[in-house]
Amino acid sequence: MLAQTWDLLVQRWDFFWGLLLEHMEICLVAVLIAIVFGGIAGILISEYQKAAKPTLAVVNFLYTIPSISMLGFLIPFSGVGDATAIIALTVYALLPMVRSTYTGMTNVDPAVMEAARGMGGTRMQTLVRVQLPLALPVIMSGIRNMATMTIALGGIASFIGAGGLGVAIYRGITTNNAAMTVAGSLLIAVLALVVDAILGFVEKRMRVRGAKAHRTNRRLAIGAAATCAAVALGATVPGMLAGTSDTIHVATKPMTEQYVMGEALKMLIEHDTNLKVELTEGVGGGTSNIEPAMESGQFDLYPEYTGTGWAMVLKNEGAYSEDEFDQLQAGYQNLGMSWVGMYGFGNTYGIAVRKDVAEKYNLKTYSDMARVADQLTLGAEADFFEREDGYDALCNTYGMSFGNTMQMDIGLKYDALAQGSVDAIVIFTTDGKLSTADATVLTDDKGFFPSYQCGNVVRDQVLQQHPELRGVLEKLQGTISEQDMARMNYEVEEEGKDPKTVAEEFLRSKGLI
Amino acid sequence: MSTTTTNDVAIEYRDICKCYGEKSVLEHLNLRIPRGEFVTMIGSSGSGKTTALKMVNRLIEPTSGDVLVDGRNVRDADPIQLRRNIGYAIQGSVLFPHMTVEENISYVPNLLNKHDHERTHKAVRTWMDIVGLSKDLLERYPSELSGGQQQRVGIARALAASPDILLMDEPFGAVDEITRSQLQAEISRIHRETGITVLFVTHDIGEALLLGTHMLVLDAGRVQQFGSPEEILARPATEFVRKLVARQRHTCDLAEDQLCACGHSGAARAEASLVAR
Repeated sequence: MLAQTWDLLVQRWDFFWGLLLEHMEICLVAVLIAIVFGGIAGILISEYQKAAKPTLAVVNFLYTIPSISMLGFLIPFSGVGDATAIIALTVYALLPMVRSTYTGMTNVDPAVMEAARGMGGTRMQTLVRVQLPLALPVIMSGIRNMATMTIALGGIASFIGAGGLGVAIYRGITTNNAAMTVAGSLLIAVLALVVDAILGFVEKRMRVRGAKAHRTNRRLAIGAAATCAAVALGATVPGMLAGTSDTIHVATKPMTEQYVMGEALKMLIEHDTNLKVELTEGVGGGTSNIEPAMESGQFDLYPEYTGTGWAMVLKNEGAYSEDEFDQLQAGYQNLGMSWVGMYGFGNTYGIAVRKDVAEKYNLKTYSDMARVADQLTLGAEADFFEREDGYDALCNTYGMSFGNTMQMDIGLKYDALAQGSVDAIVIFTTDGKLSTADATVLTDDKGFFPSYQCGNVVRDQVLQQHPELRGVLEKLQGTISEQDMARMNYEVEEEGKDPKTVAEEFLRSKGLI
Repeated sequence: MSTTTTNDVAIEYRDICKCYGEKSVLEHLNLRIPRGEFVTMIGSSGSGKTTALKMVNRLIEPTSGDVLVDGRNVRDADPIQLRRNIGYAIQGSVLFPHMTVEENISYVPNLLNKHDHERTHKAVRTWMDIVGLSKDLLERYPSELSGGQQQRVGIARALAASPDILLMDEPFGAVDEITRSQLQAEISRIHRETGITVLFVTHDIGEALLLGTHMLVLDAGRVQQFGSPEEILARPATEFVRKLVARQRHTCDLAEDQLCACGHSGAARAEASLVAR
């Protein structure tokens, strides 16, 4: 495992280095904002004690909001991406900052404060010359804790499409690449430790006394400030420049096949046109976070599934079938978006039976299976037995009842099928493992499961601005079958290939690049 | 006192009362302190002496009555300007721990004139001399000084802006006996040399009698007696003052070789009890 992680780190160092820089930028900006605003708030509430309790209660409350809900709450206001991540991290960083500043300021010896007052310092002079310097050690240790915490928490930023090392962790989880997850986590830990050590050094330097030490400190501080400013600039300027209209912002959901499609889209668009593509991969929450960002214009294009769009975006009742595609397209027209370039595969629920079972009973459709279901054992995830449109509804539609059912984890289904402990399993039609499994996928002849055909959803405005884009997307029409997609998923998840490599091989095999 | 004009009065208390809720700490304090006096304020703890002191630089506001400094009601003065013209040294001196000796002493001058560094620089060295500190201590931090040195820095800091009035609140409370008598000698000398008006709070009657040109005795918020040390010693006005100075009234300054000749001396009585045994 460690060896694998090390190899991955060495091989793809550019990728990780980029993420590391992004992580540092996001955290640095959040920490700096928290220091300024948290510090000011801490000073203010130590001056106006009446405000202390309510203020601390508010930051305490904010601190207890789980990070996932915090992000979900912020997305409608600030969209997906770095800005939201920085806001969320800043909000969490405020508590330690406000509290340590307040504690530091109020714990300054009252006799010293009275001496300063009695000698005729104004409130401001007393604050700046006496109280703040004496509170600094406490504030500094607060900053140290806060910075470490922010770096660790920064891992969630990728969930909402921001950069940083969380991208590696999240991608590792969704594409079944443990080494990737470990590498991302390891780098976060190392970064946190290094920053902690640096701040520890700063703390130590601040305690050193004497004129010479002060001069050295001043030089070190100027150097550090310059470095911070450079990094912060590096974080914001490219972001502002990237906002130009010649860049297409492509988003993908956190699913293996979407990572592959995202890379393929980027390669193909940049190959065929002069447009630049900025890819935001694996946006957490999928449609529920990407779609609002499409409406607000943060994203221009993403691969979506028809059934999902029908139910979640257009909020229609009932199972979607491809006969209703025109209605779907019309519904999206009202949102200012279009479906362009249907890939030709669907990622929907399906039922697979072991080949020998299929041959023995001559099974081709769900209706065939209904005849012999009482002799079969069905394996599926717990979720399938729970949901309303799951097991019970399926049995009602086809009038079948399985001899036995078995609840099992998604990763174990295919093994159980091969070993014969179950005869049929509920699958997703592009499951990577399906491509190598000794199984037959049956036809849903009564159309019980909704159809989830994959295609690109694009903003109409972008299509008008860049008419050449439509042609590129239409090239992809019908290029990927379910078997193709399952095989590509297999290559990424089981063979550990890079999604980018898989996407490139696919495009070449189709002669698209 | 009745003959002094307002011009010669540095500090005047006019019918001062101070209450904290129900509790009264000062009742009808009336007092005029002539310019150039060294007034020691003595009383048991809770007698109101520190409260009266802090009213001069408006760290505490009276409940009723007025305090006049140089004939001017302090209510009408900007507290910041007022304080900058009044030196202030507190219990245990309380130096700023993050500043060097030089930075501590130049704290008030720096608040006053931000640009004339040369003048401040000179003033700091002059005051180091006056309070008897060696110049190689300038770069030191308070934690690197002895208790006595810290007190001296505290006095230098209070005097650095050359104020007309110096308030001292038990400044020598935390130092040993020998250092204290040195510091007492220093402050007496500084008072003589500068002619500054000093208000000096203490709970040590010996110190009060030794340093004061006038003494104010307070008990439970009331003035017991105000007068020269000689007046206090010779004619205690109340029972409280009598008890306070009882030991000093009974102390005699016989020479060492005459101690046993006086039957009332401690030495003679001890000798007598040894002989009896």
